[in-house]
Amino acid sequence: MALFAASAQQEAVAAPIQHRFDPYEDNGGTILSIAGADFSVIAGDTRQSQGYNIQTRYARKVWQLTDKVVLATNGFAADGANFVKKVKQRLEWYENAHQKQMSIKSIARMIQTMLYAKRFFPYYVYNILGGIEEDGTGAVYSFDPVGSYEREACRAAGAAQSLIQPFLDNQIYFRNQTFPADQPKPIPGNLPLGTVLGLVIDSFTSATERHIEVGDGLEMYVVMAKGRAVDDLTSKGALPEGVVVEELGPLGEGGGERTFLVRRTLKRD
Amino acid sequence: MDTLVAQLAPSRRGDEGSSSTAEWANNGYGNLDASGAVAGMDVPGVPDPLAFLSMHTDSMSTNPQAKIKLAHGTTTLAFRFKGGIIVAVDSRATAGSYIASGTVKKVIEINPYLLGTMAGGAADCQYWETYLGMQCRLHELRNKERISVAAASKILSNLVYQYKGMGLSMGTMICGWDKTGPALFYVDSDGQRLKGDLFSVGSGSTFAYGVLDQGYKWDLSDEEAQELGRRSIVAAGHRDAYSGNTVNLFHVRENGWEFIKNYDLSELWYEYEEKKKADLAAASAAAAGGVPIDVE
Amino acid sequence: MFLTRSEYDRGVNTFSPEGRLFQVEYAMEAIKLGSTTVGICTPKGVVLGVEKRVQSPLLESSSIEKIMEIDRHLGCAMSGLTADARTMIDHARVTSQMHAFTYDEQIGVESCTQAVCDLALRFGESVDDDDALMSRPFGVALLIAGHDERGPQLYHTDPSGTFVRYDAKAIGSGSDAAQQSLQDAYHKQMTLAEAYTLTLKTLKQVMEEKLDENNVQLAQVTADGGFEILNEAELKAAIESLPAERVVV
Repeated sequence: MALFAASAQQEAVAAPIQHRFDPYEDNGGTILSIAGADFSVIAGDTRQSQGYNIQTRYARKVWQLTDKVVLATNGFAADGANFVKKVKQRLEWYENAHQKQMSIKSIARMIQTMLYAKRFFPYYVYNILGGIEEDGTGAVYSFDPVGSYEREACRAAGAAQSLIQPFLDNQIYFRNQTFPADQPKPIPGNLPLGTVLGLVIDSFTSATERHIEVGDGLEMYVVMAKGRAVDDLTSKGALPEGVVVEELGPLGEGGGERTFLVRRTLKRD
Repeated sequence: MDTLVAQLAPSRRGDEGSSSTAEWANNGYGNLDASGAVAGMDVPGVPDPLAFLSMHTDSMSTNPQAKIKLAHGTTTLAFRFKGGIIVAVDSRATAGSYIASGTVKKVIEINPYLLGTMAGGAADCQYWETYLGMQCRLHELRNKERISVAAASKILSNLVYQYKGMGLSMGTMICGWDKTGPALFYVDSDGQRLKGDLFSVGSGSTFAYGVLDQGYKWDLSDEEAQELGRRSIVAAGHRDAYSGNTVNLFHVRENGWEFIKNYDLSELWYEYEEKKKADLAAASAAAAGGVPIDVE
Repeated sequence: MFLTRSEYDRGVNTFSPEGRLFQVEYAMEAIKLGSTTVGICTPKGVVLGVEKRVQSPLLESSSIEKIMEIDRHLGCAMSGLTADARTMIDHARVTSQMHAFTYDEQIGVESCTQAVCDLALRFGESVDDDDALMSRPFGVALLIAGHDERGPQLYHTDPSGTFVRYDAKAIGSGSDAAQQSLQDAYHKQMTLAEAYTLTLKTLKQVMEEKLDENNVQLAQVTADGGFEILNEAELKAAIESLPAERVVV
């Protein structure tokens, strides 16, 4: 491995002049995360493309990190996979050093430092982190490729960001909606799970219609706060036709939070 | 340049497989070495890392076709007056012509008595000012007194100067209150560090300066000063397409900073328009001897 | 080459045939020369107390610093070669801040203690490139008091790099007697005030001089207030609230 890498990598000083070092690719796809009062939904489509070619109809973009945190990556798939691998490694080290699972707030800060360590050779990855905060509220953190981050109520990133985000601004942040005088503007981040899942599905089906790099399949991870009833997800008829729910077991000892993977298909054309 | 690169990238790819030594060396504190200094910044093994970075990233909308679009901030201002320091910023981040966010926190709370502002690369400002916060806390523990604003801003300028010419983009104002009273320093990624009474940074700064300069004096009351800061950001948000969304207003006083409020920029603009009309009507009424005249 | 038994205490990293590292053991002896230091953990917080040896009336007692802040939620008291503790405490401070920077949370009390102990065995013949090291073991023991999500905690570290959690612990010259009296009087539901009283009583018992606000120092770490060294007035009040001394002739 070391031999291979050393020969593949040219030294900065003595190297022959390299006119183009182009290690990046845009693999399309879109990710999206919305926080609720006591849950968080983190979603991504499963298409991976290179230019006009579809490389695969099932490539994972959303990753369960801990019992209460899920990470979605978008941009260059190879960088994304490598980044997730390193994040998971750091989570394991932390767990061994400190005898606890890392909180979402801590993961967010760690991701900043990891992205910024490559400030001069960036990961071409847009990250969205979703999950449950220590106080039990749903949280979404979004990152730029070199680590600037912010906690938000929702965020879309990737190929269809500019299609989806304005829709979320309107539906989640109630932008440009007027409310009657006796009805105050609702506080963002408190919509019921059914509504949120509906918005996520509509976002992706619509993006699939209008963006060539979006489609094939949709994976939505739902992280529920400790003690929250889950019948709005698991009971019969709670979800639309063709949507499949599967509960993912706890990764660690399990602190009471529950993570579900909700799948459905998207158009494949 | 090459020596600098060599220092910054102690482990080239290939030395240790894909992990940098820094990640292993210090109990999982990522890119910090044992002394708490930033180390192990990965640099691509190309003859000119800066050319590589500017080819692939678009940091100040100078390279719109680049794949990696970095969020950046735009209008920020801070000024000293008898009641302390006013810090006002907008909240828009753009990636090319797309508004990447309208809720960016461009005032970075370094600690309870130091503020930094964000213009240029969002990550550069956020990361280095957080790092500055850690150094200030260590100074406080080691010396049993708070760091001066001058010293804090110098730590920051020395830090970014080490990376000069490598593509950092940061224009910040470090604001605080120390033994010398309210203190304000401008620090940027070129290594420039200026002490001053009034600064505005970012693409909207020219518009902000216009309002700021005509209204600024040392003896402003707290309310007048806050209003001047607010009004200046509104002016910039109105005329500069890269600025807008909301205004965040902070006031630094002797016992630390206070967050005043977040305002919707467009709503403020309409309020100012209304007030302008009312003032005009009142003025013409006064000119006409106190009798209001209906304008057809 | 013939080595007598006593020669095993020359090299800092040579085991004796009985499996002992004499230099480390001697370092522990150095602590027994230090002034007595006490720590008590209660449900409300941890109390630290030290004896300051004011060897001369010309000595400015406030310049003796034996209790130090590591971070808002962490404090430390020492006994032994206190100069060695500076290195350890600076390492603890840097580690705590690095943790806060990297994870946006306060470091755990045990993790911080572990970080200090990682330094303890970095002595010996240093190898080039090894960012080491010391020529000898530390000659100081620490009582690290802190509060985190697992509640108030008290740890004891020694020159071998071992750390152990205690409900109450005494170190330094009077530690044997002091530990015994802590053991006799300690109970799990102590209030902070009771802990102060026990700390002072214990120190008083082993101190040669008459205990007053100039030759002891007290500190506490609580959930709300974090690390605080008692100021002169608070210290005086704590001393005055001690039950009256029996007159011993």
